[in-house]
Amino acid sequence: MSDAVTREKRLLQTFASLADTLVDGYDVVDLLQLLVDSCKDLLDTTEAAILLADANGDLDVVASTSEASRIVELIQLGAEAGPCVESFHTGTVISVPDIRLSPDRWAHFRDVALSEGFASAHAIPLRLRENRIGTLNLLRDAVGELELQDEVTAQAFADVATIGILHERTLRESSMLTEQLERALGSRVVIEQAKGVVAHMRGIRVDEAFGLIREYARAHRIGISRVAEQIVDRSLTIP
Amino acid sequence: MDSSFTAAMEALERSPDGPDGLAAPFVSVFPVTGASVSTLGDLLGSETLAATDEFSAHMDEVQFDLGEGPCWDAMRSARPVLMPDVRTGAPASWPSFAAAIDSERLGSLFAFPLRLGPLRIGAIDLYSVKPVRFDRDQARQAGAMAEVVSRQVLRHALEGVEAAERPSPLSRRVIHQATGFVLAQLDVSPEDARLVIQGHAFATSRSMMEVATDIVEGRLRFTKGIGGIEAVS
Repeated sequence: MSDAVTREKRLLQTFASLADTLVDGYDVVDLLQLLVDSCKDLLDTTEAAILLADANGDLDVVASTSEASRIVELIQLGAEAGPCVESFHTGTVISVPDIRLSPDRWAHFRDVALSEGFASAHAIPLRLRENRIGTLNLLRDAVGELELQDEVTAQAFADVATIGILHERTLRESSMLTEQLERALGSRVVIEQAKGVVAHMRGIRVDEAFGLIREYARAHRIGISRVAEQIVDRSLTIP
Repeated sequence: MDSSFTAAMEALERSPDGPDGLAAPFVSVFPVTGASVSTLGDLLGSETLAATDEFSAHMDEVQFDLGEGPCWDAMRSARPVLMPDVRTGAPASWPSFAAAIDSERLGSLFAFPLRLGPLRIGAIDLYSVKPVRFDRDQARQAGAMAEVVSRQVLRHALEGVEAAERPSPLSRRVIHQATGFVLAQLDVSPEDARLVIQGHAFATSRSMMEVATDIVEGRLRFTKGIGGIEAVS
């Protein structure tokens, strides 16, 4: 089987499992995590992360292919002054084919990205009509534009993320966009707290703790957010 | 008794007027004449936040000035101080306070500590003109009410501080992780764990982010029990 066919097949499988995820009562953090992991598996990218805007318009990492604080910090820098925030504000794809050539106002993002070994970056907006809710961000270790096929796929992933976040509650109530965003970001708060609990109990680093929580969620077929809630209310101890 | 206790707990949880209303519920639940709520010591300074009457406020003042008395003992030992009869029960550790109250028409004195995790915040003083006793249930109820008051006092004191320091998304992330460490260390709710971090940051004049980083990287640990802060180097 040629690479292209394999890739097609894996893309189809990914969208099939995304569709599976979007059932009643799904865990939005699970969905977003699956999306960034799929970006890493299927696209020509080294790392991927999704940022969502909170009520103040601050962009916050909700899912990332790496929980290592240096990667999260870099994405967060891009959300302060860099491609991520630019994509969020303009509602367009921001491509940085060569990070070395990025503008001075992004100096902090540029320097940290280069020192972490990244060469190019792409930020894709998460939006539905006039509502902009966040961005999908790709960090790559080679310079250059994304291939067209990757760009189309990344946009599709971004759209699935948007639908997943907005859809989570609209089935039951037509409540506000901000509330849905707060919910997704709130899940992330509990996950961070759960990472702290597990790291303390096990004497491990917080990024390692996330791996344990994810494994447990997967093995027991429970959403990551639900597992995190149970860890934080102390009704669950990860063995 | 139980319905007044429930009502008092609700009133304390709501405390719509800030700390002003935190003393009155104690008088409605217990057979005492007056109550006062005060902060004590290094964390928030010594100040009466609420008093149901002049005499309660005066008793606080005397104890602040002398640096001794039941409120100090309650705060330092993190245990209630119960003196059903001040004429016979005044301990030797309060010579000046005992002398100061000697001429007062005073039957009983009770003090309950205000604390959250390892943070010592202050005390609640209750007094009665006639000698009265607190049975075990009453002492337990007063302790539960003091817990709510502790949270409210700390939250109120830190309100202005938090506004001044709006953390970035990244520091929020670290603060959430540190909250997880502290809630596991102290076996408290996430809200209380966060207050402990914030209170400790305030007490040590550092940002929440700095304290949170120390916690996540294992340099600072809170433990249950008296004086429960451990700096790990």
